[in-house]
Amino acid sequence: MTSQSQELLRLRREKRLMWLQLLPVMIVLVFLFGGALVLGVAQSLGFAPWFGVNTFPDTTYFRALWGNASFWTSLWLTLYYAVAATVLSLVFGVLLALALVRTFPSKTLYKYLYKLPLMIPYTVGIALAVIMLGNGGMLSRLMAFSGIIDDPSQFPQILMTHMGWGIIAVYVWKQTPFVALTVYAVLLGVGRETEEAAAILGANKWQIFFQVTLPQILPGIISSTLIIFAFNIGAFEAPFILGGGFPDTLPVVAWRYFNDADYTLQLQGMATVVSIALIAGLILYSYLAIYRRYERRIGRQ
Amino acid sequence: MAKKSSAIALSDRLSPFQKIYLWLIAGFILGPFIPLIIQSFAFRWAWPDLLPGTWWLEQREKSPLPLAWDYVVSPYSQVWEATLNTVFIGSVVTVICLFICLPAARVLARENFRGKPTFEFFLSMPLIVPEAAIGIALLMIFIHVGLAGTYTGIIIVHLIPTIPYMIRMLTAVYQGLGRDFEEQAMILGASRWQIMRMVTLPMLLPGVVAGALFTFLVSTNIFLLTFFMGQGKIITLPTLLFSKISGGTLDASAAGITLVVTVPGIILLLITERFIKEEAFGKGFGN
Repeated sequence: MTSQSQELLRLRREKRLMWLQLLPVMIVLVFLFGGALVLGVAQSLGFAPWFGVNTFPDTTYFRALWGNASFWTSLWLTLYYAVAATVLSLVFGVLLALALVRTFPSKTLYKYLYKLPLMIPYTVGIALAVIMLGNGGMLSRLMAFSGIIDDPSQFPQILMTHMGWGIIAVYVWKQTPFVALTVYAVLLGVGRETEEAAAILGANKWQIFFQVTLPQILPGIISSTLIIFAFNIGAFEAPFILGGGFPDTLPVVAWRYFNDADYTLQLQGMATVVSIALIAGLILYSYLAIYRRYERRIGRQ
Repeated sequence: MAKKSSAIALSDRLSPFQKIYLWLIAGFILGPFIPLIIQSFAFRWAWPDLLPGTWWLEQREKSPLPLAWDYVVSPYSQVWEATLNTVFIGSVVTVICLFICLPAARVLARENFRGKPTFEFFLSMPLIVPEAAIGIALLMIFIHVGLAGTYTGIIIVHLIPTIPYMIRMLTAVYQGLGRDFEEQAMILGASRWQIMRMVTLPMLLPGVVAGALFTFLVSTNIFLLTFFMGQGKIITLPTLLFSKISGGTLDASAAGITLVVTVPGIILLLITERFIKEEAFGKGFGN
């Protein structure tokens, strides 16, 4: 009897100790992250006593924001840049990873080389885009050199347009290595036995890729695309510098509202921020749900 | 026939397409640095010349104001200040992050408890909630608490995107470690502290180094959160570069600063390549 209650006490103590170890991380995340989320939502619904505004709950800010046509253009642009860059990075990254698992003489060099963009800030990528793709940039000079154009104004504008080639180029430059790294790591972990088995059974290389390799690297693909897509939706610096001006992408719009001299616009900025988070959450959640369904269908999990 | 196709499918060599592809990738990643380096040494580089007409060194003596590299290394450019800030913030963030993540990673790797999947999901939230959303919402709080524009404020926000990576890498290390050695030490009468110091830590060390390097790397590359929280008072290398190129043009001194901002990345690349194996990265991101 006593030994049983002692056992119970010991278990309880261990349980407490366990939560104690989780506590520091929880405090940081709950307070900062959770706090920011709750306050952000409250503020976007009209709770800002420090400005003398307290009409909570009040949907005026959302209605004003969503009723504005430029919001929808901004949303479209944000999603377009994010999706285009994610898809391109995914394709380039997987191709790179598939090449990296092979054996070749300069492999060690490549393992350094391809990680370089991962190590440096996005702002460096933006500077590189400016010098390569700008109207007076390297590409334009090369075109002049080969006689295609003879004035910078004839150069087809790449940066600062709503087509966003410059923004997408920066994202792809930075994120192809990220996808490649994740997929390469998964490929190393999986090994080549299953591919060999498929080959012995007579599969051709396309069948091997789509039916054997791809399902194996899928978890890596999903997690890396989730991360880069979420980043792209919330990215600020590349659209700010390389974007086409009004209408801007949503994070830039939020920043402009936030820095407006009229501080009541801050609430609208907060509504923008909450909209970004909601939309990103919705897309990522559906993406994961589809993936889970696929996993169940093929009998994993 | 079947034999032939299997030989092709299983080839361990690069196909011709892959060879070309690797060249293209190398060009795509490194190519843009060539005009950048040239630009940083240029004084006058008119369109459509492929090389500058006048170099920086030729004009150097005549100029009353510092040009290009003279400017970059001079105190006016704030490069040195930004470098110190970046390294300082990165180091403090790494140490704090390590201390709060180690115990949590231990529990996550070894215990099963109710609500664990939810907890793990919550831990990866900072990776999937857009940075702009967290940044602006937190800035509101920090302005009222008086943390905006301070080192403390920046260090605290840097914890948000670094914790998920650190936790993942450390959890992977603990999972690989197993419990046997600690149990043996316990049977032999070691105290909790002794076990930690003499058994667990030495075995954890490679993983801890990897996690720390990675956290440092993430912290030094953060632009948005530093930019929002720094309020222009505290500059780091990414925000310094942003202010130089935010007009959408790139002069010689901006090119020089871009190169300076790249250097820590190259150093970290050389170090991490030795400490962090691809597999470890994979454990950090793989699922």
